[in-house]
Amino acid sequence: MSGEVETTRKPVPAADELTRPFWDAARAGRLVIQRCSACGYYNHPPRNFCDACLARELAFTPVSGRGAVFSFTVMHQRDVAGFENDAPFINIVVEIAEQPMLMMVANLPIGERERVRIGAPVEVCFEDRGDGVAIPQFRII
Amino acid sequence: MWHGRGKTAIVGIGYSEITRKPEKPLGLLALDACRAAIEDAGLDARRIDGLATYPESPFAGAGNRDGEDVVSVSFVLNHLGAAADVRWYAQIETGMIASPVIEAVNALLVGACDYALVWRALHRPILRGGSAASKGAPRASGDAQFIAPYGAASIVQTHAFAWRRYMHRYGATREALAALALNSRRNANLNPRAFFHFTPMSREDYFNARMIAEPLCLFDCDVPVDGCVALIVTTADRARDLRNQPAYIAGYGQNTARRRTLLYYTLDDYMACGGSLAQKLWSSAGLGPEEMDAAQLYDGFNPSTLYWLEAAGFCGEGEGADFVAGGRIALDGELPINTFGGSLSEGRMHGMGHIAEAVRQVTDRAERRQIAGASAVCAIDGSPMLRGSGIVVTRDP
Ligand SMILES: [Zn+2]
Repeated sequence: MSGEVETTRKPVPAADELTRPFWDAARAGRLVIQRCSACGYYNHPPRNFCDACLARELAFTPVSGRGAVFSFTVMHQRDVAGFENDAPFINIVVEIAEQPMLMMVANLPIGERERVRIGAPVEVCFEDRGDGVAIPQFRII
Repeated sequence: MWHGRGKTAIVGIGYSEITRKPEKPLGLLALDACRAAIEDAGLDARRIDGLATYPESPFAGAGNRDGEDVVSVSFVLNHLGAAADVRWYAQIETGMIASPVIEAVNALLVGACDYALVWRALHRPILRGGSAASKGAPRASGDAQFIAPYGAASIVQTHAFAWRRYMHRYGATREALAALALNSRRNANLNPRAFFHFTPMSREDYFNARMIAEPLCLFDCDVPVDGCVALIVTTADRARDLRNQPAYIAGYGQNTARRRTLLYYTLDDYMACGGSLAQKLWSSAGLGPEEMDAAQLYDGFNPSTLYWLEAAGFCGEGEGADFVAGGRIALDGELPINTFGGSLSEGRMHGMGHIAEAVRQVTDRAERRQIAGASAVCAIDGSPMLRGSGIVVTRDP
């Protein structure tokens, strides 16, 4: 396929009562993840009760922002909303250092294509999406 | 061994046209398939007193207009001309397509119905292009707010993440997927219902195909089509009075393991989760993987078949790539796999094609694909990383 296709704008997170602290922190350049006050389990995406123990006392807690690439893909299909003209683009799944299987998704610049590998250490950074929205991203360190 | 072993049977198979250019709405294709299954069984529609389906759209946002995007129990109830007093019905959204078959088996065993019709109708959604009219960025809510802003909300990406991880863990290469895709295409070339019946595939075709989500290419994804497959399930006693040789249902199983991550399902769960299905499948049937004459293993995305081979015990963990090499899975091999062409080459029927082929193989109805004397075949659908369901069918009760 070649040429520009009609594109939508990239989706922005619709912060809600549950998730607003996460996005407010991102806008301030901080990564916080919801943690259970009863058992210490990190829940992401946020939940109204803990996925591990069902406790309802959960608090957004600063985390190191460090992790490792759990897996990755280079996406070629041009049917992803807002990314129609970005293909090929990289998606990574990051396993956050604080807890096994605690995962977040991010993008890497396509220039990292030859460098990205499973296990690569990463740290958080933030991407300004305009209109007061910033989203956590990760870069290889 | 399960007390229900061999007490129910699949006695009819019906296909609608499987097409990317449908000339009629999905609901009418579904009625075509249902009527074909009833006729195949030699029944009158008025004898059908049980209805079950797995109705959901293939992905979120694909629409849910009954009779166009999906075909519900109530649609078939209203339009088929089944028994005036349908006694039992179910819409199942756990497991996958074997799950409504399993529920029909349970209903038959307790006498809730006598002749159950099970169908799966699938519509290929036409993706809408960008909407010039909408101002501002679309807003992703719920859990999607953590993936859609990254362009990572497509299921093919989830499977690409898993397959990348599999390659990393076990040293597998795309050769394993090529072996599966080519095997499926050869079998589809012998299946007159297959979307790719007339289209061969070479090794070069596979490796030259465009990437969708690396390392998955076009031919690692099932063919999105419009169509419906229907089955008739009844008790073994009633089955013996019908025209077809019955395919007896020996056992069943469903995934029941707990997931370990909130965000995605991951490769790391495939042995535990798929194993939770396999343990129930084999123990209920009183048969093991070594006794299967063929295996129909779901391939909505190609790697799922490889994961099922391992999770269901056909080979050890991480051994799937070696297992599928060298012709072992061909029609004349030690364990023929997806003998009808799979979803990759027959079309996306969400596992119904797999069950229909298992039935054909144990009842000598598999045309030029027939494995001589096949006595036990399994059909397993879904993904061992997440959810799934499966049955074993046998020639003898
Ligand atoms: Zn907890």
